[in-house]
Amino acid sequence: MVPEQKKISRFELLMDAGYGAQKAGDILIRAFAKTGKYVYIEPMFPAEISPPPRTRPSMSGVIIRLADFDITNVGNNTDLMIAQHEIVLGRRLDDEEENPYCQILLDMEDQKDNPTTYEQVIKRVKDLGLSIIPFDLDDASKMLIRGLGGSGKNMFYIGMLTHIHNTSPQVVIDEIKLTFGKKLPQDVFDRNIKIFENGYHFAKEHVPLCYEVAGKLKNTERVLIDGNSSLSMGIIDAGIKLFSGYPITPASSIMHTLAKIFPSYGGMVHQAEDEIGAIGTAIGSYFGGVPAITCTSGPGLSLKQEFIGYAAVAEIPIIIVDVQRSGPSTGMPTKTEQSDLPAVIFGSHGDYTKIVISVSNVIDCFYAPQVARYLAEKLRLPVFIMSEFQTANSYKVIDKPKVTEMNKVEEIQDFVLERFHIQRLPDNIEMVRTNQAIPGTPGGTRRVTGLNTDQSGSVNYFSKASQRAHTVRNEKVHIVRRALTKPEMFGEQEGEVLVAGWGSSRGVIEEAISLCQAEGLKTGGIHFKIVYPLPLMLKEIFSKFKRIVTVEVAYGDEMKPSPLAMLLRAETLFDVRPILSKATGRPLTPRGILAKVKEIIE
Amino acid sequence: MAVEIQKPRTGEPLTLKSLHTENPRWCVGCGDFGVVMAIKRFMVDRQLTAAQTVNVSGIGCSGRAPNYINTYGVHSIHGRPITVALGLALARPDLNVFIESGDGDALSIGGNHLIHGINKNFNCVFLLFDNELYALTKSQTSPTTRKGHKTNTQPTGTYLDPLNPILLVLGIGPSFVATTADWMPDHFVNTLHAAFDHNGFSFVHVTQRCPHFDENNFDHKTTSWFSFLKHPQGIAPDKRIVDKAEVVEHDPTDLQSAFKLAASPRRHFGLYYINPDKPRYDEILLNQVKNTLQKPRTKLLDYFLL
Repeated sequence: MVPEQKKISRFELLMDAGYGAQKAGDILIRAFAKTGKYVYIEPMFPAEISPPPRTRPSMSGVIIRLADFDITNVGNNTDLMIAQHEIVLGRRLDDEEENPYCQILLDMEDQKDNPTTYEQVIKRVKDLGLSIIPFDLDDASKMLIRGLGGSGKNMFYIGMLTHIHNTSPQVVIDEIKLTFGKKLPQDVFDRNIKIFENGYHFAKEHVPLCYEVAGKLKNTERVLIDGNSSLSMGIIDAGIKLFSGYPITPASSIMHTLAKIFPSYGGMVHQAEDEIGAIGTAIGSYFGGVPAITCTSGPGLSLKQEFIGYAAVAEIPIIIVDVQRSGPSTGMPTKTEQSDLPAVIFGSHGDYTKIVISVSNVIDCFYAPQVARYLAEKLRLPVFIMSEFQTANSYKVIDKPKVTEMNKVEEIQDFVLERFHIQRLPDNIEMVRTNQAIPGTPGGTRRVTGLNTDQSGSVNYFSKASQRAHTVRNEKVHIVRRALTKPEMFGEQEGEVLVAGWGSSRGVIEEAISLCQAEGLKTGGIHFKIVYPLPLMLKEIFSKFKRIVTVEVAYGDEMKPSPLAMLLRAETLFDVRPILSKATGRPLTPRGILAKVKEIIE
Repeated sequence: MAVEIQKPRTGEPLTLKSLHTENPRWCVGCGDFGVVMAIKRFMVDRQLTAAQTVNVSGIGCSGRAPNYINTYGVHSIHGRPITVALGLALARPDLNVFIESGDGDALSIGGNHLIHGINKNFNCVFLLFDNELYALTKSQTSPTTRKGHKTNTQPTGTYLDPLNPILLVLGIGPSFVATTADWMPDHFVNTLHAAFDHNGFSFVHVTQRCPHFDENNFDHKTTSWFSFLKHPQGIAPDKRIVDKAEVVEHDPTDLQSAFKLAASPRRHFGLYYINPDKPRYDEILLNQVKNTLQKPRTKLLDYFLL
C-alpha cells in the first residue's frame, strides 16, 4: 500500500514492565532520528521495579511523537497504540489521551485465558468510537519467544511499528545491533532479529496501516538526550566539582550518570546517609570555595529546608536541583507535577531569600547549572533548579549544544544568560558580612553562623542589625528582579487571553498559541524560566490582555489558585486564574489548552 | 588528622591571644571554657596555621565554640556539623577540620550523621561535649542524662538509663576513640595531639560539667570515680592527678578489651581504641579523581551523539 504522508504523528507502545517497552522506544526513536525525523519520547513506567505482570500497576510504555518540524513537547492525543494485552490497554484508556480516530492494535495472545476481560476492553474501545485491530503473533515467533524464556515480544512490536511507519528495516536492525549487539550471544541476537523481521512482515501483510513522516532534519551533529542526562552534563560544564545526593526518584539518574563519569572531569560524587546530610556536605564544600550541588525531589526537598535557610543566612552559595514528582508526601514518584513552587519559595522558615530557575526542555537542563552557579556565587544565596519528572525522563534529538567549559562564574556567556532572560549582575553586591574569605586565605579567618550577625560577622541580636541583614539579603533578590528581561512570549502581545506557564509547559504553550491563532483567537502566551523573583514589567504586559490565565500541572480550583496563579496574583494584583490545573500526573497538551481558551472566550 | 604537611608559617607565631575572638557567652563554671582553652593550647603547641583550620559545630552550648576560636568556622544547624565537615574534607583536604558537637547534637538529632561519619572515617577531630543534658534550651533530658535526674521535660526524674556513647561508637567500627574531661587540661591537650595525629575520624568524648543545670553530676575535685587508661601507644594520664587516680593498663588495639571497659559502670579516660588501617572515604573519593585520566570538557556531549 502507498504510505500516507503525515506532518506529525503520535503513537504508544504499552507493555508489562520488564518486557522491554523502554528499550523498544529507544531503538525506534534512534532509528527515526537517523532517518531525519524530529522525535520526542515520553516514557511511562511504574514506581516499583517489577510489579506482577498483567496488572494495572505493571504498565510500562512509551509515547513517541514524530514530526517533520521541531517539536517541543509530547503533544496531543495518540493516533496509534500497540498494547501487549487488554489490562495495559484498559489502564491507558483511563488517561483519555487518544484521538477520536485512534487505531488500537491489541495483541490477542492472552485472550484464551481471559476472554471476559478482553471482551470488556474491546467493547469499551468500540463504545469510544475507536478502531480496534486485534492481532496474534505467528506461531514461529511465539516459538522463538518461548525459546527466549518469554522475552523478545518487543522485537515483534518494533517490527510492526517499523513497517507501519514505512521505515527501512535495515536502519532499525542497525540500532538493535547497537543496543544489544555486544551484550547478547550471537544466536540469541539472531533470534531477536528474526522476531523483528516476522513482526515487520506480519504488519505488511495483516495491518492495513502505513504512513510516513518526512525526514527533514539536517545532517548536523546531533545528540539524543534526556533531561536528567543533560543536567548531569551541564553540572560538569558549569565547573561544579562536588555532587552530593541521596537516592530519590526521579532525581537519582543524575547521580548515576555522574557516578560513572564525574571523576574524569575532576568531580566527586558523594552518596550521603540522608537528604539532610547531602545538602550539608554540599554546603561544606561551597564554604571551602569548591562549587557543589545537591539534587532531590519533593520528600527530599522538605528535609533539606532547614539547611537551605541556613545557607541564605550564612551566605554560603548552594545549588539545589528539585526534579519534581507528583506530591504531596510520597505521592506518585514516577508521575510529573509542578507543585513544588510554593515549597521552594516559602519552604524554609522565616524570611529567607532564594532564586528559583526552571527548565523547559533538555537544552535548558544543560545550561541551567551555569546560571544557577553564577547567581549562587554572585549573591551567596541558595539557587534552585526546578525540573520535572516529564522533562527529566523525556528524550529528544537536538543539535549538539555548545559546551562552554566554565571555570569562574564571570566567564558565563551572554547567550546562556539570555536563554534564561537575565542580564549580567553588577560587580559589587553588598553582603551581610563584609569578609567573605574562603578558608586558607591568610588574615581572613571568619566564622559563619545561622544566628543574626552584623557586618563584622559577630552575633548580633539587636534590632538594627537584624533589620539591616534582612534588607541586604532582600536587596540581593531585588538585584535579580531588576536584571530580569522580558520573559519569552508567544503569539499576540495584546488581546483576549494571555496564557502563562513555567517549566515544562513552554513547548505546550507555544504550540497551543499557534493553534489558537490558527482559529483566529486573539491570544498570547508567556513563559517564565526564572520563576522567583519575577520581572518588574509584568503588570505592563498583563494590562494588554483581558484575561490572564495559567496552565499548570498542579492542583487548583475555583477557590484555590494553583501555585503559579497564586504567585502572579500576589505579584501583580491581576485576577489570574488557572484554566488547566490538574493533579493527574500527566503532562499538559496543546489541544487541551486550546479547548479551555475557546471555552473562556465564548 | 595531620595528613597534609603544615604550610610554612608567615608572620607572627600563633598565640592564645591571637586565637582569641571575644569573651564567650557561657555560664560561670561551664566546662566549655576548658574545652576551648584545650583546643587553643593544642593549636599553639603545634603552631597550626589558623587560616588553614576550620571549626565546625552544630547547635547548643557546644555549637558556640567556633565563635570563640580565631580560625575559620561554621556554626551550622542542629545535629548536622558532621555533614558540613565532610564537605570541607572532600573539597579542601589541605585544611585542619575540627568538629564541636554535644550529646543532644550528636547522639539525638544528629545520631545518623555520627554513625556515618565514623563509618566513613573521613579525616577530622570530632569532639563530643557531653554534659549529659540539653542546656542552651534550659535543662531537658538528653540521650545521656542519668536516670532519675530531674529536668524540665521529665520533672519527676529522667525515665531511662542513659545511652552509652562509648559502647555505641565502638559498635560502629571506629578508627579512633578517646575520652577526656574538661577539667584536665594536660590530658585534654595530649588527647588532641593523639586525635590530630590519627588519620581518620578521631572521636573524642569529653566529660563536661554543667554547674548551672546539674552541679552534682561530675565531681571534678575527687578522683575515686574514674581511672586513666595507660599504654605506650596510648595517651598519658593527666600529670597533675595521676598520683591520685587509678591507672588501668589497656592496649588500644584490643577492641574486646575496649568494649569491656566501656561497658563497666566506671568512667575511663584515655585511648580506648585505635585502628590506623581503616579505609578513609574522603581519601577514596579524592584518589578516584587523582587516579582517573582527566578528560577535557570539549567532547562532553559526545556520549550522546546519535
